[in-house]
Amino acid sequence: MGAEKNRRVSMDPRSGLFLLIMANVVAFTQDSLKMELGWIGLLILLFLLCGCISAGIKYGLVFLAVLAIQWYVLPVSPKIIATSFSIFANYARRMFPCLMVGHLMVKTISLRRFIVGMRKLHVPQKLMIPISVTLRYFPAIREEAGHIRDAMRLRNIRGMEMMEAMIVPLMISASETAEELSAAAVTRGIENPAPKTSVIRLHMGPLDWICIVLSIAFAAAAVIM
Amino acid sequence: MIRIEKVSFGYGEEKNTLHDFSLLIPSGKCILLCGESGCGKTTVTKLINGLIPHFTENSTLKGDVVVEGVRVPEAELYVLAKHIGSVFQNPKSQFFNLDTDSELAFGLENEGMAPELMKDRLAATVESLQIQKLMHRNIFSLSGGEKQTLAFASVYAMNPAVFVLDEPTANLDEAAIGRLREQIALLKQQGHTVVIGEHRLYFLAGLIDRAIYIKDGFLNQVFTGEEFWKLPDKVRAHMGLRSLVPTELHLPEVRRASDDLYVKGLVVEGLTCGYRKQPAVFDNLSFTAVPGEVLAITGPNGTGKTTLTRTLCGLLKEQSGKILLDGRLLSVKERRRESFLVMQDVNHQLFYDSVWNECEQAAGTQDGAIEAVLQSFDLLSFKDRHPMALSGGQKQRLAAATAVLSGKRLLIFDEPTSGLDYRHMMEVSAMVRRMAAEGHIVLVVSHDKEFMRCTCDRVLRI
Amino acid sequence: MSNSTNGKMLKGKDLITIGIFSAIYFVINFIFMLLSGFHPMIWILMPAFIALFSGIPFMLMCAKVQKPGAVLLMGAITALIYFVTGQFTVIILATFVIACALGEIVRSATKYNSFRGNAIAFVCFSLGMTGSPLPIWLMRERFLAQISEQGMPADYIEVLEAVSSPGMLIVLFVAPIIGAIIGAFITKSMFKKHFSKAGIV
Repeated sequence: MGAEKNRRVSMDPRSGLFLLIMANVVAFTQDSLKMELGWIGLLILLFLLCGCISAGIKYGLVFLAVLAIQWYVLPVSPKIIATSFSIFANYARRMFPCLMVGHLMVKTISLRRFIVGMRKLHVPQKLMIPISVTLRYFPAIREEAGHIRDAMRLRNIRGMEMMEAMIVPLMISASETAEELSAAAVTRGIENPAPKTSVIRLHMGPLDWICIVLSIAFAAAAVIM
Repeated sequence: MIRIEKVSFGYGEEKNTLHDFSLLIPSGKCILLCGESGCGKTTVTKLINGLIPHFTENSTLKGDVVVEGVRVPEAELYVLAKHIGSVFQNPKSQFFNLDTDSELAFGLENEGMAPELMKDRLAATVESLQIQKLMHRNIFSLSGGEKQTLAFASVYAMNPAVFVLDEPTANLDEAAIGRLREQIALLKQQGHTVVIGEHRLYFLAGLIDRAIYIKDGFLNQVFTGEEFWKLPDKVRAHMGLRSLVPTELHLPEVRRASDDLYVKGLVVEGLTCGYRKQPAVFDNLSFTAVPGEVLAITGPNGTGKTTLTRTLCGLLKEQSGKILLDGRLLSVKERRRESFLVMQDVNHQLFYDSVWNECEQAAGTQDGAIEAVLQSFDLLSFKDRHPMALSGGQKQRLAAATAVLSGKRLLIFDEPTSGLDYRHMMEVSAMVRRMAAEGHIVLVVSHDKEFMRCTCDRVLRI
Repeated sequence: MSNSTNGKMLKGKDLITIGIFSAIYFVINFIFMLLSGFHPMIWILMPAFIALFSGIPFMLMCAKVQKPGAVLLMGAITALIYFVTGQFTVIILATFVIACALGEIVRSATKYNSFRGNAIAFVCFSLGMTGSPLPIWLMRERFLAQISEQGMPADYIEVLEAVSSPGMLIVLFVAPIIGAIIGAFITKSMFKKHFSKAGIV
């Protein structure tokens, strides 16, 4: 994720995670279509409030498409297609709110704020450090793979051989990066057991509290009904 | 103050990298550690910043290292980090975060500094180093030089008394080296103690108080800054050191495309290249490169050297223009067949489990030639070795050998001498010249003027 | 500060090594996860496919970090990324924790430096991804009720019932074990062929 984004309103990472957990509860327990629509509608509203207007609309349309597929397309499809996709469509429909919350968090909360949020939740350093490195290494994998692919094209390595050929350079590069990154990190004090601080201040705003309250309400309703 | 007393150090059962080494560095001085590759200067930097012994396994350390009153082998690395800042040579693998703001604050966050103090310190760092343009950006969008500046700034923000820099210019272009020089000058002015291990020496003129020449793990000679820079050229070459003065490059310009497009060699005409959705990186470029000549391609970063080499190799399609070899127009695929790029990081292009197998794949049906080619590259005795177990120079030669065995006409070397000492730089130079002499068309992308002066015949400035 | 073994505590270098190889593991995992949307059978076999191809980053990490906690962290990172991006339910956190705990026990029993021990740990670890298709069984009644509501004909429902049957549940758990064993053998040959000779193991 890049620099701090200028959003009108933004969620606190902690309320984002809470929302996600509630979305999980609802996904497992809800049975009523009205509740489902209400929940998704609320999430779309959240998208709009946070400035992700086009994404919010897209999710709305996709959800309607999933419903349409489930109700109108699959029942009249050939058996192969129906069996292939109906489990998946059902799963997608149930997970939809979780996916939406996840997407919203990725788009509106910068990695930097997310990490500060995790620190505030007392997530142990022994977990925070590897996760940070994992996330930071994804773009590097893409870069490395690109160079390796170029090299394979120059040597005319094709087909199945490509898979084995990719592995050695990728792993060597990973090992070296691990060495060098570790040296650069420990010489800047990463092993310090003292709590890490940040110039970033997180506070829970009205939007966060509303989200928390409403999500508890929906989850409770889903469980009870 | 740094005190290294009678230190001997070795990895496992191997021969010691340092023997009975003693050095005293007073506070506020700027010290250069120099010598041939493998002499032990990196080991000394690691003694100072604590990577030895805390970061090494299976090693033996005898003797004492005390920095700013702290015994290094006994202190925790994160305690040492407050007094000793380290900058390493590879910009790509020094940053921990994805955005520049986090990276700058990294050390201070680890220290647990109070947020108000942190804010002031970060603002002061940005101001001091004039890095406003680097803030609020994705680290992957930074150039190599900018990344190295950010790495330096991140350490600077912690304000340690001692700075240790281990070959910081290895991957930098001239402009970035100039900026590094300014940064070191600033450190001196502020009274920090600076220890630099380096091959590239010219940019440090006037900054160094003492130069320590290390040979085979022994402290061989100590010079004052003035004495060192007065060393005659022959002596410094004998010591295996790179040039002490900036090299002037007075090569003739590249041959431009003549009216005769059927010249033997590579003809580039009106080449415009760029990436999708972005403006062209360069426009209407024309030149000729003939076999037997080594053409240098040089210029500041970001002007298109990489784009040009990738286009010539057939890894990128041109937007407009023509590329011809011996009078024949080459498509992207044909270019890939005829050319080869020895990359800056050779680890990306070695795939097999032995030198011989690597060559076998490259040679295809021409495998009778493998032995002779390996011999010419001085690799025949390593034919069963795994490519990744070779030294850097050997890997480079192996990559070049695969190019020769695949019958490639056009060979491009991308920064083949970054981080090399004098002797190895001359070996690469000899290899490159031999490639040209054997009839290949050879292009070299480089910032290394010393290397280009003794290797190249013409220069194309982009 | 000893410099031969830094005890059994995970230090900065270990954590960073775990992070990097977890990134590689996750990429391999993710590619196969994407493919599994095409058919429920593929989805059920997905953990097995992943196990076939993901042995190398796992075993390399085990070779480099011979301490407790490495397997647990690799699993936790994978599960957390999937959970926080909303792709999988909390079930995946549970299955990974259990699978990794088993893996850690195995590694501890084999003193962290045996390839076979690490391979068995890999088999345990590979069961973590079963948390992805597992909701099919956990929500089976709801699912079947929903699709009959949609108006799906009875013979379709029968097929779907078969797919989410208890028999299939056994396949869900057995397939990754087989996949991981084969994956471990593939990894062993890659280690012999490349990584030992290259000096990174």
